[in-house]
Amino acid sequence: MMKKLLVTLLSASMIAGMTGCAGSTAAAPAAAQPAEETAESPAEDSSEDAQEAEASEDGAEADTASAAEGEPVTLRMAWWGSQTRHDITVEVIEMYEKENPNVKIEYEFYDFDSYFTKLKTLVASDQVWDIFQLGGNFPEYLDKIYYMNEFIDSGVVDTSGISNAYLKITQDTEGNQIGLSNGLNTYGIAYDVDMFNEAGVPLPTDDWTWDDFADAAMKIHEHTGNFGSSGFTSSEFISGCSTYIAQQGKVGENSFFNLNLDGMGFDDAQMLTPYIKMRADLIKAGASPDAGAEMEITDIENDFLVTGEAAMTWVAVNQFPTIYDICAQEGRTLALATVPRVKKDGPSGTVIQSSQMLCVSQDSQYKEEAAKFISWFQNSVECNNVLKGERGIPINDEVRKALEAEATDGQKEMYDYVSLVGTFETPEKINVLSPAGQDEVVDNYRNYIQQVVAGDITPEEAADKTYADAKKLFE
Amino acid sequence: MAEKAEKTSAFSRFMNSNQTVGYVFAFPFIFGFICFSFIPIVTSFYYSFTDYSMGSKTLTYVGFKNFLQLFSDDVFIKSLGITIKYVLLSVPLKLAFALLVAFVLTRKSNMVTLYRSLYYVPSLVGGSVAVALVWKQLFARKGLINVVLADMGLKTVNWFGDQKLALYPLILMTVWQFGSSMIIFAAGLKEIPVTYYEAARIDGANGPQTFARITLPCLSPIILYNLVMQTIQAFMSFTQAFVITQGGPNNGTMLYALNVYNQAFKYNHMGYACAMSWFMLIVMSIITLVIFKTSRFWVFSEGGED
Repeated sequence: MMKKLLVTLLSASMIAGMTGCAGSTAAAPAAAQPAEETAESPAEDSSEDAQEAEASEDGAEADTASAAEGEPVTLRMAWWGSQTRHDITVEVIEMYEKENPNVKIEYEFYDFDSYFTKLKTLVASDQVWDIFQLGGNFPEYLDKIYYMNEFIDSGVVDTSGISNAYLKITQDTEGNQIGLSNGLNTYGIAYDVDMFNEAGVPLPTDDWTWDDFADAAMKIHEHTGNFGSSGFTSSEFISGCSTYIAQQGKVGENSFFNLNLDGMGFDDAQMLTPYIKMRADLIKAGASPDAGAEMEITDIENDFLVTGEAAMTWVAVNQFPTIYDICAQEGRTLALATVPRVKKDGPSGTVIQSSQMLCVSQDSQYKEEAAKFISWFQNSVECNNVLKGERGIPINDEVRKALEAEATDGQKEMYDYVSLVGTFETPEKINVLSPAGQDEVVDNYRNYIQQVVAGDITPEEAADKTYADAKKLFE
Repeated sequence: MAEKAEKTSAFSRFMNSNQTVGYVFAFPFIFGFICFSFIPIVTSFYYSFTDYSMGSKTLTYVGFKNFLQLFSDDVFIKSLGITIKYVLLSVPLKLAFALLVAFVLTRKSNMVTLYRSLYYVPSLVGGSVAVALVWKQLFARKGLINVVLADMGLKTVNWFGDQKLALYPLILMTVWQFGSSMIIFAAGLKEIPVTYYEAARIDGANGPQTFARITLPCLSPIILYNLVMQTIQAFMSFTQAFVITQGGPNNGTMLYALNVYNQAFKYNHMGYACAMSWFMLIVMSIITLVIFKTSRFWVFSEGGED
């Protein structure tokens, strides 16, 4: 009985399949083939495929880079960030879709690490999102970036409101426009003013040193039981460790990686030792979270500074207004301090750079539409009134003025801080980029610090190992 | 007409043959196995001799370099040690719990089915990220475990901050998912003839004696099965370490599979990661072989030939 039933079912499905095939052989080529042809030669047989375009959905016919007005276009976009960023970005995407009914944007968002894991799989399968966010680690993904020069020349991307200096921060040395910067940014230390006062520790000055920093963290910990300084997350490698190298010697004498990004920018591994030792000492004393506690920080919005368990934390300053607002609701006041220096009168080591940028992908079918969105994203005042500089201080002059006019207290603090860092002496040429493979160096570096804390190795050995790991990237 | 009838019958004979039916029903598995297991396994073998990385369109043949590099890689050696420790602790504990609960639940009571289902629940949800996140919260510095410890006047423990301790919450989480072994044990226990127990009772054997002399030997084939399956599964554990500790502190919970994942997807050394996977395959084969070879000394077969 069962077998009979099976036979009937199978033969039924076979017949259905066969007729289905027959039907489609008759009808399908008419729908599919011309559409493909148009992709290759858009000028030919335009009369016929106008109808076909209607029949087939937003498929191959829009393959041509410049989708005509009104044709449905689906763009894929992705970014990393905190919940605030996700909310406001989704809001402006919906805004753009309303203004451009033919454009549909499918978005994905991740935390920093997951974003790059996902990106790597997409790179492997040649399916990188049409519009994607990249930071200083872009060299690894250069193959997948479609330079924006042709769109700037053709006027698709409007750069009239963006000064040349700000365009340059996302160009390579040959003048290729890799992307448009989402904003200016620099690193700083956000701190809780009351916690400093409570512990009787003097507030940070613009030229405070690492010794001052460590002292403050220790004293605050002894006094309040809180962490003096919150977690050193993975971005600390750039904001702390490599800045520490740039602060030694004369301005521009040392840098972690060299200007061409093909070797190390300093010779003596022991230059890292005092910094590694300080970090390990803070963790050992409980003035800075250990590895377990650090795991509890998932993004800046639940950092120990924000939860009231730490007096200081590292921020890229675009993150500051968000956490300022959260703490203000609880009646706490945050402020921004500069990254400590090695010597009071030594180089600051900090530079103003692009926070991240939006890039057009090589894999995109609609490169021009993607560029159009990026242009709107950076230049529209209406859009940036929603974004509110959460990704960094906007590069478009008009947008920046509009935002500065109605800045909140936290944003004002951020603008003031960036102007302050702008007055610091910086080298003529700087390299803020990360070489491919840096992730492994950073992970190992953080492990070495934990080994120093556990007493397995000395700070000197940790410095040597970190240097050797970094050097290996260029072999 | 006659010819057609013959054809139909040949066709229906073909459709009705046991083999056709079998293959049709097995097709979803065969398809999935070939596409998602067999082909990736073969390609990974090829990649393990190259410097392939995701995203790069070219690859060069590097011979055994990846395999030789394994033995000079500190993280690899540490992760291998940690994984073996994890397997040695989690598998016996898990099987012991499974057997204990299965044994307790053999008694005749209306609630047994309910209890069995309840104990099986952790295995259903165990591999999920959500449970791992809950576990992370439980053992956090101010998590439930530490709150309870503090309330009892004990010192709180920084579970994930200490590289010597961090592995134990992960082991505990694995042990907690004993459900599937328990179900298999329960089925095995039912198969043991009641007459053996009756005879033992008449001869005056007590509880522990019957357990040691009747239950364990009769159950030994099942124990072997569970041991092999759970060992293989434990070597492949990934979720807990990935979600809860990300391998830290100081690689103290860097389980093998997580290390492979990091090398493949985070550090972009796909070729190296493939070599690591093949090395693990060899290690697991040896361990399984050892278990099978030793089984003749402790697995009791009722056939009585051994």
